[in-house]
Amino acid sequence: MSMAIDSPHLARAQTLLAAIRTTGLIGLALIAILASLSDVIARAPADRAGYGSELQSPSMLYPFGTDCLGRDMLSETLHGLAATASDAVLAMIVTLIAGGLSGFVLARLPFGTGYVPRGIAGVLGSVPALLLAILAVGILGRDFAPYAAGLAAAPLAFARAFDRARALGESPHAEYARASGIPVSTLLRRDLAYEFRDQFIAVAARALAAVTITLSTMSFLGFSAHRDLGLVIAAERSSYLAAWWTAAFPALALLVLVLFARLAATLEEGERP
Amino acid sequence: MLKFGLRQAGIFALGLLGALLLAAAISALPAGRAAYPGAFLQHLLHVAQFDFGASVLTGNPAVAEFSARMAATLELVGSGALMALLIGIPLGIAFGLRRSLRAAAPLIQIVAAAPVFCASLALIFVAVNVLHWHDLHYDGTDLFQVLAARDQSQLVHAFHIFSLPAVTVGAVGVAAVQLVLRGAISDAADEPYRRNLKLMGLSAFEIERIYVAPQVVAHLFAHLGDIVLALFSAAAVAEWMFGWPGAAYLFVKSVALHDWNVVALILLAFTAIKLFADFIGALSAHALAHPESAR
Amino acid sequence: MSETKALIAVEGLTVSRKSNARPLLEDFSLAIAPGETVSLLGEAGSGKDTLLQALVGSLPRGEEASGTLKIRDGSADKIAKRPREGLRIAYLAGPYAKPLSPLASVVSQLSRVIARKLNVPVPAARAEFTLELERLKGAPPVARFEKYPGELDPEILAWGLFAACFAQTPDLLIADDPLLGLGPAQSRALSQILIAEQKRLGFALLYAATGTDIIKRLGGRLIVLRNGRVVEEGPIARLATDQAHAYTRTLFKAMPPLVAKPVQARTGRSEPVLQVHGLEFRHGVGATAAKESVTFELRRGASLALIGEEGSGRHSLMRAVLGLDRMQGGRVILDAVDIGILTSPMMARLRRLVAFISGADDALDPRMTLWDTVAEPLRAHVRLPRSVIADYRESALKRVGLASLPGRRPIAMLSPFDKRRLQVARAMVGAPLLAVIDEPLRGLDAFAQSVMRDLLREFREQEGPAFLVITSDFTVAQALAEDAMVFHDKRIVERGAIADLLKTPKDVRTKRLIEAVSASQQEQKIPSPPPGERAG
Repeated sequence: MSMAIDSPHLARAQTLLAAIRTTGLIGLALIAILASLSDVIARAPADRAGYGSELQSPSMLYPFGTDCLGRDMLSETLHGLAATASDAVLAMIVTLIAGGLSGFVLARLPFGTGYVPRGIAGVLGSVPALLLAILAVGILGRDFAPYAAGLAAAPLAFARAFDRARALGESPHAEYARASGIPVSTLLRRDLAYEFRDQFIAVAARALAAVTITLSTMSFLGFSAHRDLGLVIAAERSSYLAAWWTAAFPALALLVLVLFARLAATLEEGERP
Repeated sequence: MLKFGLRQAGIFALGLLGALLLAAAISALPAGRAAYPGAFLQHLLHVAQFDFGASVLTGNPAVAEFSARMAATLELVGSGALMALLIGIPLGIAFGLRRSLRAAAPLIQIVAAAPVFCASLALIFVAVNVLHWHDLHYDGTDLFQVLAARDQSQLVHAFHIFSLPAVTVGAVGVAAVQLVLRGAISDAADEPYRRNLKLMGLSAFEIERIYVAPQVVAHLFAHLGDIVLALFSAAAVAEWMFGWPGAAYLFVKSVALHDWNVVALILLAFTAIKLFADFIGALSAHALAHPESAR
Repeated sequence: MSETKALIAVEGLTVSRKSNARPLLEDFSLAIAPGETVSLLGEAGSGKDTLLQALVGSLPRGEEASGTLKIRDGSADKIAKRPREGLRIAYLAGPYAKPLSPLASVVSQLSRVIARKLNVPVPAARAEFTLELERLKGAPPVARFEKYPGELDPEILAWGLFAACFAQTPDLLIADDPLLGLGPAQSRALSQILIAEQKRLGFALLYAATGTDIIKRLGGRLIVLRNGRVVEEGPIARLATDQAHAYTRTLFKAMPPLVAKPVQARTGRSEPVLQVHGLEFRHGVGATAAKESVTFELRRGASLALIGEEGSGRHSLMRAVLGLDRMQGGRVILDAVDIGILTSPMMARLRRLVAFISGADDALDPRMTLWDTVAEPLRAHVRLPRSVIADYRESALKRVGLASLPGRRPIAMLSPFDKRRLQVARAMVGAPLLAVIDEPLRGLDAFAQSVMRDLLREFREQEGPAFLVITSDFTVAQALAEDAMVFHDKRIVERGAIADLLKTPKDVRTKRLIEAVSASQQEQKIPSPPPGERAG
């Protein structure tokens, strides 16, 4: 047992994971700063046609070039990033509350009543999140796109949190605590606190990555009211084959956002180096 | 095994019932039938008999609309799944076993971080500007007819049409399969029996082949449903990007145009396929890697 | 012994790991003659495991060995990471080390190991395994091993692991504490088999152990290791009584021998803490099922041991007393309250009077810190200022010897011994009326056992809770309790004062449990109990 504790391989892996997570978090923080200052940094307001001449390739004057309507792609990318990031954060909060937190708390309902919402989450989780989100937008309207994306990612988060909470509740240490008179409410509080401490960043970042992809894909397919990166890329679909920069920079911004979120989640289990 | 099988069948049946309720609720949306329990129950009975009414757009029965499109989606998902298995399994095993390749993990992260539509756009860009393919949009070509005719120019044309959507879906499948496999292999790496059997005198290769491999394959089966989910999700984007006449494209279009009967039917079909994959995956994993089932 | 006669000789063996400043094993030399018995004694991290792995030629990645190794009359070569040629080495691990894959039958895995060693096809190896099982007295039939490791009782699995080693007809048997965690009767039976087979097959034995009991039984030479260095070395006959090094002395005094002298009851007729009236638990299944009911009383400060092998029913009783399982009949009265009629929040409040110390290493929440673990019962049950809680916590940690550890260290980073002591500290702060103590010394090395036993006794003397001790070991029972109930096959076979039981045991099963831990080195013919399979 003590071998596992001072295993050098484990220590190295832990250091590496911490470094990866920190990189992801710093990246996300930088994106947050960029997004919040987008109106200040960007030279042109969002969707401003005729800012420069049409289809200028990247240059000192237009670092990301211009598109077929003369829009400055740097400004478009910054505004798009701000819209995507703010919508994604909203969607992530919906996922965390409707998914993670509810799953964790409902798992402790007495008489196994929590299995009813768990079953519903199982069914909803069997629909691809993208299609579920599109369906929700179809029913609720485009303005609800961030909520739809958040709700669509919630079933899987719910199931994950529920199963984790059940496993914790049935663990030997939980039984030991009950045997020595620790009340069920204290146990729930204890588990919530430790899960928040140990898992929150990973769970939130994972949710952020998932909802960002869903949201931008929805926008790309035309199911969003905001001009976010998905919509910016969709608008350049006809011109990007001749002018690569019109889609490449917004796509790169999207990729970087998702990448940092996934790094902050310290990669999926199997992705660990 | 029997007990486990019955339990899984029960979970599958309950899941189907849930999916049916969801489908009934969606298809009841336009008439507001969902608000009245009696009317909803009657509607549910219709849905349970696969009577989804007509498409409000074409006036054809929803089932006919759906069945005309589902084959194309299954073609796409099938070819994607094939690619996922052919490339994803060796890739997953290589990444899992070879420590030196694990350094490539961040690179995979970058690839995996790209949303499917961005990957499709990149593929199209390469096909048009580098490979000089110009006929990428689906134009009604029947792959099987072309294969039977054996006309080279038609074959090339068909290849251009079919390869990109298949690669798009396949790439997502590859990513999903290798992720599951790598997880399984790194889990198995910590098993104490590997060290002990080696000390007892078995070779590392023997231990991998006889004891670790079934465990890893079982893990893959256990995640079959997740892989199917990823494939269908990718199919929705690929169909839209390449004008592929599939059910996922029809779903997106039908939601946009509020054709709820068709939406409900497609949703039910996709959910049922995923639940079935879960069911088969659980049984296979149990048969491979659970002691009781071996007798 | 002379160098030329050695079966295997290592010279100047040093094993180091890049990340560790200190070598795992330092300048170690050892020569084992054919048929000789050498025991290694040391706690976790002493270098035993490293030595065994280096000898087999299977050091893990990242560990490098220097020094030479000579097999029989061969030349002294550099120690390499490959199987040893010219010497058949069998490796014997215990069932609790989880040595086999959970997804293949025991017989298939063990036959494969035998096949590799004897260089024969697997079916032939299986026949050898079957023959060996038939030869071993008390061993279960080969059909039992058609099952998977998880479906077998560790006791049964141990028979298979031992038989597989003997079937390899080894020159050298390397045993890595194979009896760890097994009950005393089973340990004794298997150690006798090991001695008998060594005589028959003439193999040399290198036995790594954490406890001294088995080493005394095996005889031969003893090497005491600590932090990768040899502390003391010599014939066991001498070292058992005359230890030069203080560390060795601590290891040997861990468990005092059984003495059948009456112990003064600690208290007079004080009020009862726990009363169990006609508590029923079922044994057997189907038509042959029978009900057993038990009635006893535990008064303030008194101590009762529930003694029996694994699966004998002690745990069912303990769980019923703790209110973890629903009772089938009867009443449990804790501090004058019938727990059968309590709601779960009321039960939780009542349980604050009970401390639970478990021998399981996963009993404490691995995410909690050292401080939180100790303070939790106080925070959950009484409203006290932080500073007062901190005082209680510090004093308890000091008493168990953990005050020097960083208080924010998570439980996952602690050793099993530290975790066990922490449970005692946690019990102390609650000032309980009753302490339920389940196999408190299980899996600990001799030194840790000695400390734990003293801690528990001190806890009882100073805080005065009644003790309910669950154990399979009469020495543990004697150290911690005055009275005992002996369990076998979900039935109470004998009860009374431990001193009386030791002097005049009436039931054969009580006798067997006592003999299993009697510190005599003479072989005694003890019929081993028919090993039962795990229920369900």
